Formats: sequence, structure tokens, C-alpha cells
Amino acid sequence: MLLTLAFRNLWRNRRRTLLTLSAMVVSAALLILALGVFSGMFKDMLASATEQYYGHLVIARPDYHQRRDLFAHLPDSIVDRLDLDKASEITGKSPRLRSFGLLSRPETSQPVELLGIIPDLERQVTSLQQQLTAGHYPTATERNGALIGQGLALKMRVKPGDELVYVTQAADGSIGNDLLIVSGIFATGDSRHDNNLVLAPLAWLQQVLALPGRIHEVAMVVAEPMNASQVADRLTKNLPENIEILDWGDLLPEMREVIAAYDVSRMIIVTILYLATGLGILNTFFMSVMERTREFGILMAQGMRPWTIRGLVLLETLLLGGIALTIGLLCGAIMTLYMQQVGIDLSGYITPVTYAGGTILPRLHAVFAAGNFLVPAGMLLLVSLVAGFLPANRAARLDPVVAVRDI
Amino acid sequence: MNFCVAKKFLTCLPLSILLLTTPIPALALDVQSLIREVEQQYMGTSSHARTTMQVKTSHWERTLEMEAWSLGRDYFLIRILEPAKERDVATLKRYREVWNFLPKVDRVIKIPPSMMGGNWMGSHITNDDLVKANHIDEDYNLRLLEETATHYLIECMPKAEAAVIWGKIVYRVRKEPRVPEQVDYYDEEMVRVRETHFDDVQQIGERIVPLRLTVLPLEKPEETTVLQYHDLVYDLPLDETFFSLRSLKQR
Repeated sequence: MLLTLAFRNLWRNRRRTLLTLSAMVVSAALLILALGVFSGMFKDMLASATEQYYGHLVIARPDYHQRRDLFAHLPDSIVDRLDLDKASEITGKSPRLRSFGLLSRPETSQPVELLGIIPDLERQVTSLQQQLTAGHYPTATERNGALIGQGLALKMRVKPGDELVYVTQAADGSIGNDLLIVSGIFATGDSRHDNNLVLAPLAWLQQVLALPGRIHEVAMVVAEPMNASQVADRLTKNLPENIEILDWGDLLPEMREVIAAYDVSRMIIVTILYLATGLGILNTFFMSVMERTREFGILMAQGMRPWTIRGLVLLETLLLGGIALTIGLLCGAIMTLYMQQVGIDLSGYITPVTYAGGTILPRLHAVFAAGNFLVPAGMLLLVSLVAGFLPANRAARLDPVVAVRDI
Repeated sequence: MNFCVAKKFLTCLPLSILLLTTPIPALALDVQSLIREVEQQYMGTSSHARTTMQVKTSHWERTLEMEAWSLGRDYFLIRILEPAKERDVATLKRYREVWNFLPKVDRVIKIPPSMMGGNWMGSHITNDDLVKANHIDEDYNLRLLEETATHYLIECMPKAEAAVIWGKIVYRVRKEPRVPEQVDYYDEEMVRVRETHFDDVQQIGERIVPLRLTVLPLEKPEETTVLQYHDLVYDLPLDETFFSLRSLKQR
């Protein structure tokens, strides 16, 4: 009965209710869209950082991540021995050997970071094969095919098919050196990789470094990056003592902080926007309660309890909130879906920006994340209740004798 | 007026005492030419030698047999004879440039400035040492730090414009015979990071030179590089053309 009453009361001043409702719908929908776009940006950043280089999880000797010590190596059999397949979340794993040295052509030399990889396994972890600007991704049959960054290729003035000499200090103290043939050139937008990174076959690098059968790390990807640390915890139990596992949060602490900061800023944006919306609701219901002073007086004179009056007004605001929420979520979802499927290309206006180890791509693009819907929805209902509370209180505290005389 | 004269006299007093008490020969000592003399004693106008380099690190130990030629302070060529795996790997220094020849890939590679701090042939000697070692008197301001009955201690502070990696170098030179005994290298924080010792002093022709050089990186006490000269011969008929990129590639 009360619900019907509340619903009818809402539409007594149709224009005012619709105006308030539209303000709520627009704020909820735009918020959902904005949060979706933010999430999309962070997903791009995380993906760029992990898919260009690190992977989500890395197994290595303790401290290897900091010191990059040539001698902190592991047997390559670790990949099988760990029996990683038991953790079904892992969708790719790539054994790698890392070396720092000099890439040289007759005219120029550049210091580079060289990763020895098995092409078919590395493609499961990083997505450089999707970022080729020339040539092809090295295949398993190429003995010394190399994939090099675009910036490096420009500085060295090489194109696919050209020869390069790699020189470094091998693990036995000798000068490790051998020829590489450029197979392909990649461009990630992250200058650190584009100007510095070379991928070459693992077996080739093991021979150059005099480290047969050794690797420095196993990089892995998991289906859901946000669960990487849980997967890491589970895997740690099966690892020998002097081997550690790091997740992307350990590898890229800035990125973890950016995402934590995002959660906070999301709350701040929601609060500011809903404060304004809340004031609108407050105004609407104060007006509506003031107009109905006489009516409430009569209801109370007839025996309606103040609590019921309060409940009635609160129910009205909740109802309004509920309707706004339904339409707002729907509109927000439709807009997010559009931004997810189509997005807005900004590459004509800005270039990729590298921030906190990830690359922000020049596009607006949204992703669906439960939090981006639940937070605005929950907050909208909360704001409706809070904004309805004051008018409801006022209505409940009316003195029927005075109220019935109100014109 | 009187006061001024008195002040002048007073400020001059310590200086005059110093002048009177300091032995005259030390004042006359030109540190610049002393260091140059010591360095040139070592290099000669030209030289040829066989050298053995033993490098010990915490991860590996190896011994290289090499053949070396030099001309003045600006030309230097050294080629590996042993071990067989690295035979014919060679390094050429011309003025301030260093080139490596890698027979495996049949290429000559110029060491870029960014790699000059890297080690040479896996030893504790850097490429920079090869280039700069004989230019101490050009890149550093030299000062006699201490003189004892047998030794000079000379401090070398880098000149403001010199592109050097050390914060300070301290030379200990024996007076008789006049040979270097020890060189200490300090980093920019003035922490002593490396010591070089010279010993096995022998007479080669008219020169008296130390034939063994030991490099001790002080952060890694277990590591050493020992460079021993054999069959050292001075003043050979060598000219600049011998130190060309072509001869670097020659087997």
C-alpha cells in the first residue's frame, strides 16, 4: 500500500520528478562510461607493460630482477620440472636468457639488451608479433634471426635481412661474439624497448654466452592479470628455495601504485559527482514535503505513525533512485559497449605516452569491469537515501495540529 | 702604515720558513715530467713483447697468451695467441680510439664511448685504461704529495674539462731505479676502488722496467688480473702504418 502511495506521489509533479530523474540518470551513465574508459586506459597500460616485455609472472633467482647478474642462472629444465601446467590459469610460459652487450655494424655500435628466447614460447607471453613494422617474427628454424626495436633499427640503419654483430662478455670470461640476421622490426611505442631491445634465439645466445642449457628467467602469463599474485603464491610452494617468483606488481611497483591510486580517485570522482546529484534530490524532496505539509498533517491526524510518514518519503526517494539506477546502468552499459567495440581514435592528436612502465595508447577505449558498475550503483542508492532522510525527518516531525492549518 | 707592514711581514713569515726548510731539489722537481718519464720508460719509442695475462674472478679463471706492439703512447696493438678458442682476437688502440678484431665473425668493432668503461678481454683492465693510462699528465693536475728517502707519492686530480672516470689517482714512484711501484685509483666519492702494483723490476737494454702488473679491484678482494711481460724488446723499426685497421685483421 505504502509502495503504491509512494509511486503515485512521485508522479504528482511530473516535470520536477523527471528533471531530477534525468539528472540522476545522466550522472550515473556518464560516470559508468568515464570509469569504463579509465579502466580501459589502465588495462592498455598494464597490457603494454606485461605483454611487451615482462609477462605477468617471472621465475628467477632471488635478486635477479634488480641486479641482472649474468651468473644468476637456472637450468632450462626448470620449465618442465616446475610442472607449471597444474596451475591451469597459466596460458603461456617462456624461458629466457638475458645479456647486455654491444650490437655493431661497420659504422655504428649501440649498447643493447638481448633476450634469448624460443620464438614459439615467447609469442605466448609477449605480443611483439602483433607490433611488427617490417619483416617477420623469428621462426624456430632460424639459427640467428633477431627481432629488434624500431628505434634501434633506425640508429643502426638496418632492415630485415641485414647482418649485425653482437659482442658481450661471456660467462667464461671470453669475448662472446656472433652474427645476427635481422628477421623483423617491432615498434611498441615504449622508447625503452624500441631503442634498446633485441630478441634472438635462446640456443644462439646460450652458445655466445658459453651458458649451454641455462636460462635467467621463465616469464609467464595468466588468464586474469589481476589474480597474478594469487597464482604466484600457489606456485611458490612448489619452487626450490633459491628461486623466487615475482608478479607484475613486484616487477612494476609503479603500475601497482597507479592502479591503487585509480581506485581512490574513482571514489573521489563518484563522491563529487553524487554530491551535486544528492543536492538536487534533496531540493526536490524538500519542496515536495513542504507542499504536502497539510496532507501529512491530515494523514497523521487520522492516525498514521511518524515512522510510516518517514518511511513513505524515504520510499519515494529510493524508488526514484531505483528508476534512475535502472535507466542509468542501461545507458552506461550501452555507451561502454560502444566505446569497447568502436572507441575513439586519438592518434591524429597525441602520440603514445609511457607512464609508470606502461604505454598509454592514443585511443579512448572502454572495458567492462564489475566495480565500475557496482560502485556508481551502490553510491546512487546511498545518496538517494541520505538526501531523502532530511525531508523525511521533517515530515515525520510535523505537528498535525499546526500542519493541517497549512495552506 | 706600520700596522700594514707588520701584517705583510707576518703573512710572509710562514711562507719564508717553508721556503727555507723545504729542500731545494723537491721544489725543482717537475712532477709532470717525472710521470711522463716513468710512463715513457715503460712504453719506449716502440716495443714488442709477449705477455701472459691471468685473470681470476669469483666465477672463472683464465690465462691468455698475447703478443703486443706499441709505438709511442698513441699506438698499441695486442693479439691473443692462446687459448685456441680466442686465437687472433686483437685490440688496436690509436690515439683515443679502441678497436677490437673478432676473427669468428671476421669483423672489426670500434668500442663506442658508452662501452669504454667495460672491461678489456674479460680482465680488470678497462678499455678506458688502455686509452687514458698513458695520458695521465694531460688529463690530470699533478701534485707532489709526499717525498720519502726512497719514494715519491704523487696525487693526480682530474682537470675540470677532462672526461675521466676516476676521482683521484695516487702514484707511488720509486726513486732509484725510477719505476712506478703502485697506483691507487679513487672513484668520484674518493673511495679507493682499485690498486695496481708493479714488480719484477728488470733491466731491458738501457731501461729498467717492472715486468709484472697486478690489478686488484678492491670491492672484489678475491679477484685479480696479473699481466706479465716476457721477451720485451724496445726501439724496433715500427711506424704508424703497422697500427692500421688492416693490420688489425691480419693473421
